[in-house]
Amino acid sequence: MMKSGKLAGAVIATLVITLAAAVAEAKDKVKVGYIGPLTGGVSVNGIGGRNSAELAVKLRNADAKTKYDYEMIVLDDECKPNVAVQVATKMAADKEIIAGATHYCSAAAIAAVDTYHKFGFPVIVWGAVLPDITYRNKYAEIHRVNGTMINQNDANAELIHKLGFKTIAVIHDTTDYGKGHNEYFAKAIERGGKAKIVGTFGVTADQQDFTAELTQIKALNPEVIYFGGLTPIGVRIRSQMDKLGLNAVFDGTSGIVSDAFIQGLGPLAEGTLAFREGAPTNKLPGGKFFMENYNAQKYDNPPEAYGAFAYAAMDMLIDTIEKVGPDRKKVIAELANVKDRDSIVGKITFDDHGQNMVPVITKFVIQDGKFVEWDESEYAAGKRKLPGQK
Amino acid sequence: MNAGLFAQYVMNGLMLGMMYALVAVGFTLFFGVLDVIKFSHGDVLTVGAFTALATYVGLTSAGLNSNWLALVIILAVAVMAMAALGMLIARYLVMPLRSAPALNTLLITLMLGTVLRECVRLFYPQGANPKPFPALLPRSSIDLGAFNLRLDNVLMLSAGVLTIVGLQFLLNRTRLGLAIRAVAQDEETARTMGINFTAIVLITFAIGSGLAAFAGVMNGLYYNEINFGIGLYLGVVGFAAAIIGGLGSVYGAVLGGFLFAGLQTVGTVLMPFASAYKDVFAFAVVIAIMAWRPTGLIREKISERV
Amino acid sequence: MSGSETPAKRDGTARPSSWPAIASIGVATVYLIALLGAEKQSVIISLLVAGIAAVLAGGWFGIFGGVSRAFSEHEDRMGLLAIVALLAMAAWFHEDHFVLLLVVTVLLTTVATLGLNIQFGYAGVLNFAGASFFGIGAYTSAVLNTTAVPHLLVPLIGGALAALIGSVLLLPVLRTRGHYAALITIAFALLFKTFLEVNDVLGGPQGMPVKGMTLFGWSLNDNVEIGGITLSFYMSYFVLSLALLAVAFVLVRRLERSWIGLNLDALRLDETAAACFGLDITRWKITAFLIGNILIGIAGALFGTVGGFVGPNNYTFADSLILVSILLLGGIGNPWGLIVATFIVIVVPEKLQTIQEYRFLLYAVMVICVLLFRPEGLLPRPVRRYFPGWRP
Repeated sequence: MMKSGKLAGAVIATLVITLAAAVAEAKDKVKVGYIGPLTGGVSVNGIGGRNSAELAVKLRNADAKTKYDYEMIVLDDECKPNVAVQVATKMAADKEIIAGATHYCSAAAIAAVDTYHKFGFPVIVWGAVLPDITYRNKYAEIHRVNGTMINQNDANAELIHKLGFKTIAVIHDTTDYGKGHNEYFAKAIERGGKAKIVGTFGVTADQQDFTAELTQIKALNPEVIYFGGLTPIGVRIRSQMDKLGLNAVFDGTSGIVSDAFIQGLGPLAEGTLAFREGAPTNKLPGGKFFMENYNAQKYDNPPEAYGAFAYAAMDMLIDTIEKVGPDRKKVIAELANVKDRDSIVGKITFDDHGQNMVPVITKFVIQDGKFVEWDESEYAAGKRKLPGQK
Repeated sequence: MNAGLFAQYVMNGLMLGMMYALVAVGFTLFFGVLDVIKFSHGDVLTVGAFTALATYVGLTSAGLNSNWLALVIILAVAVMAMAALGMLIARYLVMPLRSAPALNTLLITLMLGTVLRECVRLFYPQGANPKPFPALLPRSSIDLGAFNLRLDNVLMLSAGVLTIVGLQFLLNRTRLGLAIRAVAQDEETARTMGINFTAIVLITFAIGSGLAAFAGVMNGLYYNEINFGIGLYLGVVGFAAAIIGGLGSVYGAVLGGFLFAGLQTVGTVLMPFASAYKDVFAFAVVIAIMAWRPTGLIREKISERV
Repeated sequence: MSGSETPAKRDGTARPSSWPAIASIGVATVYLIALLGAEKQSVIISLLVAGIAAVLAGGWFGIFGGVSRAFSEHEDRMGLLAIVALLAMAAWFHEDHFVLLLVVTVLLTTVATLGLNIQFGYAGVLNFAGASFFGIGAYTSAVLNTTAVPHLLVPLIGGALAALIGSVLLLPVLRTRGHYAALITIAFALLFKTFLEVNDVLGGPQGMPVKGMTLFGWSLNDNVEIGGITLSFYMSYFVLSLALLAVAFVLVRRLERSWIGLNLDALRLDETAAACFGLDITRWKITAFLIGNILIGIAGALFGTVGGFVGPNNYTFADSLILVSILLLGGIGNPWGLIVATFIVIVVPEKLQTIQEYRFLLYAVMVICVLLFRPEGLLPRPVRRYFPGWRP
């Protein structure tokens, strides 16, 4: 259930306690929760998110004006649906924890929403992009600060059409995350009408060998391989493509926007496309403030793609508790009224499903070992040609 | 299906089969001398692969640039370290339980496998995450239609074949091999013939575990990525391969390894609409084979004392 | 247990007093309430250390001989008392969702290991796919709880399905021995998990939510309020699980003491000799395998409902191994030992937050130590008693 998160959690708890004790002693203690993947292939994102959420708590505790002394409980969902339900139960069943910023992985988040609803535990999702998380049910407990994958795939299909590609093979993982991407991408491509999906392959999230699927794709000879899944299998598929001499443009989703993808592949990562909702962290309204404070803490890991959202989610939870007090029902009622609220990721407005609108989509391409915005890249300028482009 | 595609499938299957076979040979060796299944075998492979990776990291930070030299050194270190680990396991966990029920040996080695796996996960830096493994072999390749013949795959396959042939030579043509076979056949008689039983058992475990390390490095070179869970899967597949081949026979283990890989590949080709079912297919066939041949394809000679 | 004791008289008038057993149940209950309720790590660690010290001291001074004698003499009464003790514990934690969930997990896991116990412990049939059959039950509840099938029947159907699917393995299991037989169930465990992962109808790797039970129009997933006291909704599941455990326990005990149990023992100890005495080996192996799977399946179905979610990763080969090692830790063949072992394996890592990350490691090391130094388990199965009050 909980692995490295626990130890880290203990360390954080101690830090928070000492810090808070220095500021004020008489404040009531309030517990808030954080859930993300702290172990496994996407742990860098979970740890980046945790550091960011922790930063929000620290900054608040350091402020003498706060009414309560906040303690952040950290749990690890391992990016697995079953573990997510276990830790969600554990967190929601603990009455002392008032609210939580939860989940990077869509597969984990969609599994856990019923649990939050059952226990009446308010959460703000900070990284998972599957639309169903907020839209499948109308649970008052569930909110989300980041956008959904629908716009992401529209932008993706648009770029594919613009570059004039005609044939696409789709590989997606068979969790709800990969299935969702497959669904919305296929719809967007169909709407465009110019390109065709020549084959679709579902793979399991812990698969090791993809030579069988890739050999079949090689026979189909597509121009683009669209990949709807997360970093670990993305790395495996891209490197096994190379082993089989399979030349095609590798087109990923927000699931591979992480430094671990580049580290895992080295030079092979060059020219990979990826998309993410929201502006790049340095272009966010509070991006500079966030990065300066984050760097001041000297964490081992960067905040990664969704760190700013985790910070915003935790900050909003604390804001709400400050306003209405540590009471789950009141927090839920208050979160229903969030409109044009300022945050480091811009104005936040929750619709009736608790979903924030994030219309901006950033297109990325990996250039010289970095995620570069497409429009600023040498690929868009025509100076370089995407690897595998025929 | 065109010839190039067919060749590609065969190549994929051969690479998988070689890794399975190397693991299966270890199982069969241990069973030969001690009549035990050492289930930690797959995790010894993991530890071997991580030892190789750590050695490589050490070598690069020491400024070594030659890929070939690095490969030889990491292979040697991994094989020797795992051989030593294998001997320790045999001496302190497997041999003390010789008189206990077979279930106890099975469980103690399974649990040891968990210990090894968890140690890699917890104590190797960032061990819970997949690690990139360096591509140390030449990456040149020839495109033959749909078939991509890579030099590194050819080299790995040849190395695997040489290793298995070498092992056969060792078992059948040397005094050490004679002693191992004598112990496998009848411990008591072997002892009376002046064979140092304990030493032979330890050497056999060292050989088997060294092979696992070799397979681990090969796995890393093939996929360019290792994680703490690779051994669990390879161990179980290797065990299945050794069993369907018939325990105690090296040829049986090799046959079982390639058969399992063949089943997976056939499963993919026959069910293109559902290639994900290849493992379900392969394991179902394994169960069916066991129902048909309860002691494996190359039958173990069992004489039951009543 | 101890052969050096003077034999008790068989007329039953001089049965040993039941007080040692009653006292030990009382102490255990208070201890467990303290442990489950403790939140501070320092308190938990000192409680655990105290517990281990008490057990070691008890063993040193030999008071467990009296306790176990009292248990075996007054087993029915002790069983009832244990139920009362568990109810008292649940009443204490009536509002605490998480503790109750933990206790329910222990109860249902015990039922599953009771099933495995029939297979491993009595008949000597290997089953390394315990978690898979548990999973068959759980998936049954995930599918059927949304339909009109009466929810009380669902666990029974889960058990039946586990037995039915398990019976596919009967032919290879019966034909093979030893390591070859082990491979059959191991292969099945892997096949089952992969199948769940690649198969879309049952949710694939995503898994699927399980609807709560509704009995006679009353939803078990709602909290209960009686006279101003709110009971956690896990309370109803606790009562159901406890009832299931009690029934399973009595069933396994009766089975062991009956001539069926005698046949199974003979079969396990020496197949050839048993066959020579005219026992139908095939028949008894099939019986044990099926009954065991039914119990595992029922427990799994109930657990799926309680947990509210099923996914392939809950039912892997590693989970099967945990079930088998609970069996070994408790002492193969002794149902009382299983309860103790399940508590240790499930509750201790959960309470000991500081070792969370290392729990698999510590757990594996613990099993290795047990196998090396106490191969017969914590509470070994006593020698069969052929008559009431009889001791060898």
